[in-house]
Amino acid sequence: MIVSNIIAIAQKELQSYFASPLAYVLAAIFWFFSGFFFVEILIGKQGLIQQVALKEQTEIVLSSVDVATEFLNAYSAILGTLSLLIIPILSMGLYAEEKKQGTIELLATSPLNNWVVALGKLIGVTLLFIFMLLPSLFYEAITFSAAEPPIPPVLPLLAHLGLVMMAVALLSIGMFISSLTTSNLVAAILTFSIILFLWIIDLMANNIGGWLGNSLEHISLLESYNNLVRGIINTSDFVLFFSYIFIGLFLTSQSIELFRLNHQ
Amino acid sequence: MSSKTIEVEHLSKAYGSTAAIEDVHFSVDAGEIIGFLGPNGAGKTTTMRILAGYLPATSGTVKIAGYDVHRHSMEVRRRIGYLPEVPPLYPDMSVKQYLYFVSKIKGIRAGDRRRQVYNAMVRCQLIERENTVIRQLSKGYRQRVGIAQAIVHEPPVIILDEPTVGLDPRQIIEVRNLIKSLAREHTIILSTHILPEASMICDRVIIINQGKVVTTNTPQDLQGQLEISSGYEIELSGNLEIVLPLLKAIPGVTNTILDNNLSIEDTQRHMLRVTCKSTTEPGKDIAALIVRQGLELHELRRTRPSLEDVFLELTTEEPLSVYNQ
Repeated sequence: MIVSNIIAIAQKELQSYFASPLAYVLAAIFWFFSGFFFVEILIGKQGLIQQVALKEQTEIVLSSVDVATEFLNAYSAILGTLSLLIIPILSMGLYAEEKKQGTIELLATSPLNNWVVALGKLIGVTLLFIFMLLPSLFYEAITFSAAEPPIPPVLPLLAHLGLVMMAVALLSIGMFISSLTTSNLVAAILTFSIILFLWIIDLMANNIGGWLGNSLEHISLLESYNNLVRGIINTSDFVLFFSYIFIGLFLTSQSIELFRLNHQ
Repeated sequence: MSSKTIEVEHLSKAYGSTAAIEDVHFSVDAGEIIGFLGPNGAGKTTTMRILAGYLPATSGTVKIAGYDVHRHSMEVRRRIGYLPEVPPLYPDMSVKQYLYFVSKIKGIRAGDRRRQVYNAMVRCQLIERENTVIRQLSKGYRQRVGIAQAIVHEPPVIILDEPTVGLDPRQIIEVRNLIKSLAREHTIILSTHILPEASMICDRVIIINQGKVVTTNTPQDLQGQLEISSGYEIELSGNLEIVLPLLKAIPGVTNTILDNNLSIEDTQRHMLRVTCKSTTEPGKDIAALIVRQGLELHELRRTRPSLEDVFLELTTEEPLSVYNQ
């Protein structure tokens, strides 16, 4: 019952993304840039392969370079940055649109709990995000199959899992922001500001060190993402991701309850 | 448990310090159509929203089918269909997709969805538009999709907030017929600010003004109330002394009121109100009498009772002050 409701909401959310040009435009932009950087990092003029070739020519290779792993690190960082840019646009309409169109009254008077709706929406937008990541996973599969020494396939998969986890955490926060307003634009701008703020926290964590830097590192999503990219599986990283997701869902439910209380 | 389908007791809702509705109470029997009548801003939408479980009340209780709207919210939600003031439609979906979505979230079992969606579409005459994207539908069709959405799960109670607002006359008639066809099987509560609409569709009419229930009436009673304000507005000049008693003697005429405030410019001109039973049309007799008595008739206009008139009659001691506009 609850599960089928969650699926129904997620399905509806996906349907509405693909009914509007927004999803296609976003996917096109995302695919263009992720493809462009893939090529640049790998075989561009300053690309990794070129660098290794130069080093080999000048015969100053002291240690062997693991191109595959270096590439995965560099490319994952780029994918992460691109994702941070599109997440606010993916999450902006989740509730703002429902409030603007009045469909929130349908959802709020149907036998659904607020958190069921919120979870359904989050799953819907997550599926869209995963769909957008598929081409990059495909490129990596082709590239890494030719890597010498071979790279364990679990590494790029872990990196993508990390990316998805980070995205869901931020989408959940973005969904909460969207539930506070009736304007998509305001929701997108606020979510982007929060993402920038979290980014700054990450930079601070890396730079200031000490106990403060250490504790900031613990709440930095990017740091947890990097751990997974490097193949490090920490329970604490997953706890962090799920904490963000849970907080977003919880605040969304509460904010919708409050919105109803004061709706005139 | 009582036999009443809807029971509303001492219901109040305040936004900050302003009260939207105050101490509203009424009850509805199973199968009844109840009209909630009032001018804009009277608290109709607020009441509808509280009934539908969308808004929490500040105080008071609402029970639908024996369940408290607030405490047993989910039980109530399964038993109501609700059409908000603005139909809650997803413009990118087709009619069929939309109704399927609603049937899922309303908890219809997978095996019954196809049949119930089909029934709702037949009921609301949407079959020929089932694959049209809602964005492309006319306002009348959208309203029908809104009603289909409220009945697709076959709820015992249907709450319709201003179901005919913004429609053209033909669409209004269609929607009214649709609502009437839903009666008996469902208990229906609808809000409107159009008096004839309420008296046409509803078994009982609850009149609300400034957040308070003014009266609960059957349409027949309401008709009686209306007779007081049904009549003619006459502008004439000449000596009224003889005419007034004769006018009162015309069958159907109930009263005459001379409105001296409106004897404008020329003191010879008078504004005269003649009230009559709403079922009679003594206009030609009135005109004939005035002409026969040698008075000059400048204007004779039939006045229909407006909702405002009824309100004033129900809420003030001077029922006819409305004419001193």
